[in-house]
Amino acid sequence: MTRAQLLATLLAVGLALWVVDLVRRRKLSEEYSLWSLIAMAGVLVAAFWTKGLTWITHQFGALYETSVIFFFGIVFLLIALVFYATRLTSMTQEVRRLAQETALLKLRLERTEARMQRGDEAGEGR
Amino acid sequence: MVPRVLVIVPAFNEEASLPATLAELRAKAAGFDIVVVNDGSSDGTEAAARAAGVPVLSLPINLGVGAALQTGFRYALEEGYDVGVQLDADGQHDPADLGTVTAPVLASQADVAIGSRYVEGAALYHAPLFRRIGMLLFSALATAVTGQPLRDTTSGYRAYNRGVMRLCLNYFPQDFPDAPLLIWVARGGFRLVEVPVTMRARTQGQSFYTWTKSLYYPYKTLLASLVLLLRRAPVGEAEGRP
Repeated sequence: MTRAQLLATLLAVGLALWVVDLVRRRKLSEEYSLWSLIAMAGVLVAAFWTKGLTWITHQFGALYETSVIFFFGIVFLLIALVFYATRLTSMTQEVRRLAQETALLKLRLERTEARMQRGDEAGEGR
Repeated sequence: MVPRVLVIVPAFNEEASLPATLAELRAKAAGFDIVVVNDGSSDGTEAAARAAGVPVLSLPINLGVGAALQTGFRYALEEGYDVGVQLDADGQHDPADLGTVTAPVLASQADVAIGSRYVEGAALYHAPLFRRIGMLLFSALATAVTGQPLRDTTSGYRAYNRGVMRLCLNYFPQDFPDAPLLIWVARGGFRLVEVPVTMRARTQGQSFYTWTKSLYYPYKTLLASLVLLLRRAPVGEAEGRP
């Protein structure tokens, strides 16, 4: 095992353990953990299956293996960014709807309470 | 049955100007119901509205003027109002024009009536040059897309009927409900009309459109308008007009 492979292994396994621990402590949902675990597996494959990496590099017409790794890494990050932005958007919409319903319900509650109070007072007056 | 009109006043940190606006509304537009939508203000906006004896829809967080207005639409639809009118809290809109703005919608001549600064009969309004260029651009875009002559896409003084308010529950630009909203409504087959109104300079507080927003606004409005053209038109929404 080369030094670079050792570093990649430590990094991938460490990050994977961290992700699993986050899921265990319910700080991260299974849905979101899947992608990071797949990425860690990808790092390990790229580190040890050097023949495959060289083959892919030739197929891409790239000069160095490292640039292929960086390319896929950046593409992965970009896709992840867009994915999280869509999640943020839908959560924003959900929060907005909830806030609106809260405001509507609050006004309705105030009115109902005021009506009940008036009813009580009318009852006491009788 | 007499049609019921609700004046929706979205307010974000408007404690200084809201009391005067509400007092003027009471004086000049006594026949209209009012609701203030407090858009998560950090000042005494909610208390000012309550002190005026006006019902308040108080959003727990700041959602933006579009989402605040949408809250007003939800309320208007739930409470069975026939027409909802948007009126700014800052005193720019003269309640004396309420009759003019609601008339085409009440007479079923239009589904949305826009109080415009630029149609004949409107008092002169002097906007800064940069803003005026933007207004011209978006008015040209909205006119081209909707096929209806729209000269004042940024006016916040508008009357909407129930069909339009219902449409706005599904889609609504949350921060700047200007040109994209008009385009979407027009694509749904609704009829828009502009009526002359007077716009006054705001007396208190700050405009929604601060300088950072003045950079973001054109981008957001242009993108939202163009993306709307790629969406399927909300066909059938305009049928069953009241």
